[in-house]
Amino acid sequence: MSLTFLFRAITRDVAKVSVCQHLQSLHTGCHLLAADKALLMKLRKNTGYTFINCKKALEKFDNDMAQAETWLHEQAQKEGWSKANKLEGRKAKEGLIGVFVGNKAAVMVEVNCETDFVAHNEKFQQLVKDVTFATLAHHRIKTQSQDGYVKSVLLGDQLGKLSVGEGTSLADQVALTIGRLGENMSVKRAVTVRVPADWHIGSYIHGGVSSHTEVAMGRYGALVVFQGGKEGEQETLGRKLGQHVVGEAPLSLGNDNDLPCGESETRLLPQTFLADPSRTVAQFLRGQQARVLDFVRFQCGESTGEAAK
Amino acid sequence: MAALVGLRACFSALQLSSPSLLHSSFKLCAVPVSRRTFAAEAKKTYSRDKPHVNIGTIGHVDHGKTTLTAAITKVLSGAGGAHYKKYEDIDNAPEEKARGITINASHVEYATANRHYAHTDCPGHADYVKNMITGTAQMDGCILVVAATDGQMPQTREHLLLARQIGVEHVVVFINKADAVEDKEMLELVEIEIRELLTEFGYDGDNTPVIIGSALCALENREPDLGVNAVMKLLEVVDAYVPLPKRELEKPFLLPIEGVYSIPGRGTVVTGTMERGIIKKGDDCEFLGHNRSFKSVVTGVEMFHKSLDRAEAGDNLGALVRGLKREDVRRGMVMCKPGSIKPHQKVKAQVYVLSKEEGGRHKPFLNNFMPVMFSLTWDMACRISLSGDKEMVMPGEDAALTLTLRQPMVLEKGQRFTLRDGNRTIGTGLVTDILTMTDDDQHNWG
Repeated sequence: MSLTFLFRAITRDVAKVSVCQHLQSLHTGCHLLAADKALLMKLRKNTGYTFINCKKALEKFDNDMAQAETWLHEQAQKEGWSKANKLEGRKAKEGLIGVFVGNKAAVMVEVNCETDFVAHNEKFQQLVKDVTFATLAHHRIKTQSQDGYVKSVLLGDQLGKLSVGEGTSLADQVALTIGRLGENMSVKRAVTVRVPADWHIGSYIHGGVSSHTEVAMGRYGALVVFQGGKEGEQETLGRKLGQHVVGEAPLSLGNDNDLPCGESETRLLPQTFLADPSRTVAQFLRGQQARVLDFVRFQCGESTGEAAK
Repeated sequence: MAALVGLRACFSALQLSSPSLLHSSFKLCAVPVSRRTFAAEAKKTYSRDKPHVNIGTIGHVDHGKTTLTAAITKVLSGAGGAHYKKYEDIDNAPEEKARGITINASHVEYATANRHYAHTDCPGHADYVKNMITGTAQMDGCILVVAATDGQMPQTREHLLLARQIGVEHVVVFINKADAVEDKEMLELVEIEIRELLTEFGYDGDNTPVIIGSALCALENREPDLGVNAVMKLLEVVDAYVPLPKRELEKPFLLPIEGVYSIPGRGTVVTGTMERGIIKKGDDCEFLGHNRSFKSVVTGVEMFHKSLDRAEAGDNLGALVRGLKREDVRRGMVMCKPGSIKPHQKVKAQVYVLSKEEGGRHKPFLNNFMPVMFSLTWDMACRISLSGDKEMVMPGEDAALTLTLRQPMVLEKGQRFTLRDGNRTIGTGLVTDILTMTDDDQHNWG
């Protein structure tokens, strides 16, 4: 008894659906294809989402571009997360280092992806930029009350929780980009420094790929905190020092009077200066009346001790 | 309508998860030994073998590059032209994963009725540029794979850019996943879009062959029009559209001189390994290099103390030259067909700098670095000028450089060379352009 009832109910529903469909297709049927095609091309050009999703969106909202676009954005976020979960665990060792130096403060971040094809992509670079500014904003709020030299390091998970305006977190942003580019990505680390008024920050980025002017991006990056230097030449000096740090990869600062121990020297000050091999870094700095206080070097894809902890 | 949409969504979901489906449904098979290196060495038996062409697949992630490769081997294995490679054999190939010292870019090979192909995949942009410079892998043409469901995506662009950069001139498009798209209109749109994209990157977008099909159908033996037949058609088009690379034998002859000997009663003999071309008794020849140049005639060709009528590229030979004195020539010069090659002093080059692990330096180098350049049988000091806004080149990187030699030496576009500093190899490079010397350059060497 109940079975037949169920059956009847189902047939009725099916009939209803098919009638609805019929009506709808009658309604739009003729001009849909022509309008559809132009709109589809337009929507795809504007948004860059996949053909199939654009089509779905247009069908869903009866060719209403604005609604379709909003829906596509929402969909992209959702798909991004599912893609991100699917790709989790895939090795991401390529990527970019982003550096931004502002007024007495600087940020350096590393964002990873799987291949360097993606690192060349504008959307990925946009992500690096977002991460850089989110970190900087976070740093500003946190260290407002503090004076003097502040250096803070943030790692993957902490970075994911930072917000990038309007309630979206950095992790959402990453997922969105994963959805668009189809590769696993992760925000690996970030370092921010703030210095007192008479100190300077020098930066160097190597292997730059970016078209963004505000944030420099490349495969290697270095920040050097120093004091002194000739007036007006501090920027060049900082750049030279940064270049040396990227090139020679020192591990520690060392002392002014350390004796150099050959090719394998890992302390910054006794190292031979890259731009002038006749002198050590310490000798070069003496000539410039400058003093290096701290430095950070990021190499894209390198394994970090901190990450292992 | 809604139901249709749902159905399509189902299809595309199925498509997306295809790798895992395939994963579970295939068993492992043994990996046959690649025959590629063999084919490259056996220059002298070209005529008996099928001509060899290197081909690659490029395209966005998940658009089915690997599935297509698997489908090609499957379709051709029927005719005995390939060993069928399952999806996971290709995708999980350790070579592709290990981004170490060298990348074995081609681990798939197959043969059509007319040609033998080595199949290359693109592990990364920098990796590929490195392969191009060191000469481990070349692409004579490539198949651009685009999913009909998605259209061109970010990496489609990046890969095309790469293809352009490394000088791949022939691209064939395969629109994949056509089984997941129901109306023809969509396929047309995808095709229009991809043609536009090709034109944008400087290819002949209007005349590029575009094949529509589904690699998955070919693998699963369904819908032969989209599956097996489309793959066959693709191979036919590749056979026809991608031209054979010019063979070494067809080029004008070039013999880099390794040694000079005077044989009493006969004259002076130059020895070396033929770089390219064919040399015959009585041919005109020209000697170039080390600021000298003069013409003469080859009066005899010898190999293993026996005289021959002709010698080919790859032969190690001695050539007797009319009127030549021992002190006229020295190692590092070349003997060539008159007018076929010229000495140059300033070139543009793409260089790969070895990383420390590969035996290179651990330090970067800056502008005006002066290593020694080795090419053919000569070596010469040169000065490096970095181009653009680059200030430094790190080990493990590739870079575009300008090299100025202390003296003009025989150089041409496409020639390979090595840079050394002291007792260490710094990098290897490929000449991309010949530049003329300016007065400034001369002055700098003074």
